[in-house]
Amino acid sequence: MSSNRRRTGPNGSDWRNALFIAPYLFFFLTLLVFPLFWGIWLSFHKADTFSSGAFVGFNNYVRLFNDHVFLQSIWNTFYFVFLTVPALAIIGLTLALALNSSSRLATVLRSLYFSSSVLSVTIVTLIWRIVFVPQFGLLSTIYGWFGAEAPAVLADPDLAMIGIALTTIWWCIGLPMMLFLAALQQIPGDIYEAAALDNAGWWRTLISITLPSIRRTFVLVLIIQIVLQFQLFGQSWLLTRGGPNNLTKPIVLYIYDIAFRRWDVGLGAAASEVLFALILVAAMTQYLISRRQEER
Amino acid sequence: MRIISKIVAVSVFAMMASAASAADQVEIKLQRFFGACDAQFGTNTDVGKAVGECGIITSLINKFNSSNPGIHISVTNVEWPGYDQLNAQFAAGDPPDIVTVHESALSDYQTKKLLLPLNDMLKSVGITPDQFTEAAQAGATKDGKLYGMPIDTWSELFHVNLDLFKKAGLVNADGTPIFPKSPEELIAQAEQFKAKTGKPYFVMSLANETALYMRDLYTYLFQQNSDFFADPKHIKLNTPEAKRFVEMYKTIFEKGLTTKNLDYSAALNAFLAGEGGVHLNGTWVVGDYDAQSKTPGTALNKGGYEVYPYPQLFSGAHQQFADGHTWAVSVKSRTAAQSDAIAKFLKFYFDNDYEWARTGHLPSVQAVLDSDKFKALPHRSTILAVAKLGHPLPAQVQRQFALQDIIGEEIGAAMSGQKPVDAALSEAEKRVNDLLGNL
Repeated sequence: MSSNRRRTGPNGSDWRNALFIAPYLFFFLTLLVFPLFWGIWLSFHKADTFSSGAFVGFNNYVRLFNDHVFLQSIWNTFYFVFLTVPALAIIGLTLALALNSSSRLATVLRSLYFSSSVLSVTIVTLIWRIVFVPQFGLLSTIYGWFGAEAPAVLADPDLAMIGIALTTIWWCIGLPMMLFLAALQQIPGDIYEAAALDNAGWWRTLISITLPSIRRTFVLVLIIQIVLQFQLFGQSWLLTRGGPNNLTKPIVLYIYDIAFRRWDVGLGAAASEVLFALILVAAMTQYLISRRQEER
Repeated sequence: MRIISKIVAVSVFAMMASAASAADQVEIKLQRFFGACDAQFGTNTDVGKAVGECGIITSLINKFNSSNPGIHISVTNVEWPGYDQLNAQFAAGDPPDIVTVHESALSDYQTKKLLLPLNDMLKSVGITPDQFTEAAQAGATKDGKLYGMPIDTWSELFHVNLDLFKKAGLVNADGTPIFPKSPEELIAQAEQFKAKTGKPYFVMSLANETALYMRDLYTYLFQQNSDFFADPKHIKLNTPEAKRFVEMYKTIFEKGLTTKNLDYSAALNAFLAGEGGVHLNGTWVVGDYDAQSKTPGTALNKGGYEVYPYPQLFSGAHQQFADGHTWAVSVKSRTAAQSDAIAKFLKFYFDNDYEWARTGHLPSVQAVLDSDKFKALPHRSTILAVAKLGHPLPAQVQRQFALQDIIGEEIGAAMSGQKPVDAALSEAEKRVNDLLGNL
């Protein structure tokens, strides 16, 4: 035993060291890796909620890409990501820049802007339903003051997704703002002092010092938000049920519909794999672009 | 010290007694929808005082528990319709013992052998299938056996604001509303209604809603003798009959003869606020609307509230789509005492079918339907006909809730002009058949 200990040493490759990561590894394998491969396996089978049936090859994928609702849901998801991610990044950055001070007002406003992030999706959508509901909602009341009729945001094919995006931005703005604030507070003060000595104005300081210094955080915010917003589900389900005419049905809602409401688990698994690939490609592209820029 | 010893002794005795009593008690897990109302009826056992679906079902279960000390029904309340949760429970091997299942959803579980055929269990407490109404039997019978004990029959109805109908001049000499007898008459009467009252004829819940489109499509296809589900695994919707229905509703929408953009609760509130003449909603609101009509100052109190089955607009069979609620029992290993307790609960609910029928649903028990006591309830004389007119889809049609979504999405798109009628019907047919072809 003692010779063994001597041979491996304190930093040696003793297999028992692996025990330290065993608990994590167990949950990682059982809750992430196994379901990932099981999902892939299911996507090649005709499976329902209570049984996994025959191997059907790529049939589920063929059905999937022949289903215009699925194609619509892919478009909807990208459209939603396009509506929300840039807005979250820009508004989050603007708020962070505006509130990056130690004044009491800034502290209160920071808490206020972050407070919506702690609400659950149920509460958030309830609040926004009260805003959007035709005839009796806040929007109708405001329009009513001017003698106008409010648009039926959640039932209008052109406005429904914008309504959901607005709800989401209101809900999620806290995290990007806090990440940007943390990044802004990491920038050394002497750089700003040097800029001030060089008579650099606010705009020049922002463009030449602040934004380049928080570039990595900007990329991080974009990646986090792309991954998060690709998984849109609760807001759509609770505000519009994916309607009107499937125009607000994102991929996750499509998967839920197919796998759990129609019991077509094989097709749902195939759609899940497509979503997985999309998120992976989007996040990796973002990551590689930012890395290449940094290397230059 | 002696006092403390006595307290400890009494506490231990009480705990042992309570544990012994709990051990003697048969525990049955029941899962239901119909909402939560514990604040109002959580401890009520006087069923006569309860109103509404939630109030009555909660009070009935309370009464059963209090009058059967050896049995305890523990209730899980799920959001309507609760099938996602039930599926997960079945998949995990931990389903409730008794669960509310729509007649239209029974096939899904019955074909997977997840539900118990109830004929023997019901027979053990003196209930035979012929004691149920024809509509209830038809809805709950699969492969010749009852796979759920029917507790009611429900359907969509024409809920009428009589005050607005009078203003529109659409009332007979005896005070009853005048209803159309053809699609053309429906449009003409609805236009007359709008011209005279300034309000739409219909209050429909069209936003984020699929049920109404589906139920109305089925009703008006039945009325045209369309055999759209001749094969339970294949729907035919690309037909002149389906097109006639969708075009009728599209005209209603385009001419502003219905409310638009309202979801279920907004439509309900709009009707109660007097925003339209006919609310298309189910039997379950009859009790609440009747109560409103008796409350001074409400829109329904002005000229009265009445409710009728759908008018016959086509020359085919006089039918309308109907469904029903059942108590289904999961397949699960149980003791004889547990099975007896379940049978006892089903018998209790059967015996209290009248109380449940106070919700507005039609009773599933023929004797209750025939009783003067039931007929004396408000509006039952007019909606009683649903017991005969009510018609479900063929028993073998599966995934009816999923079909509802597909059909609702496509017809909704056609009605609001987002899609041509033919394209919407073709797409609905294709999507439904893809679903049913891949079960």
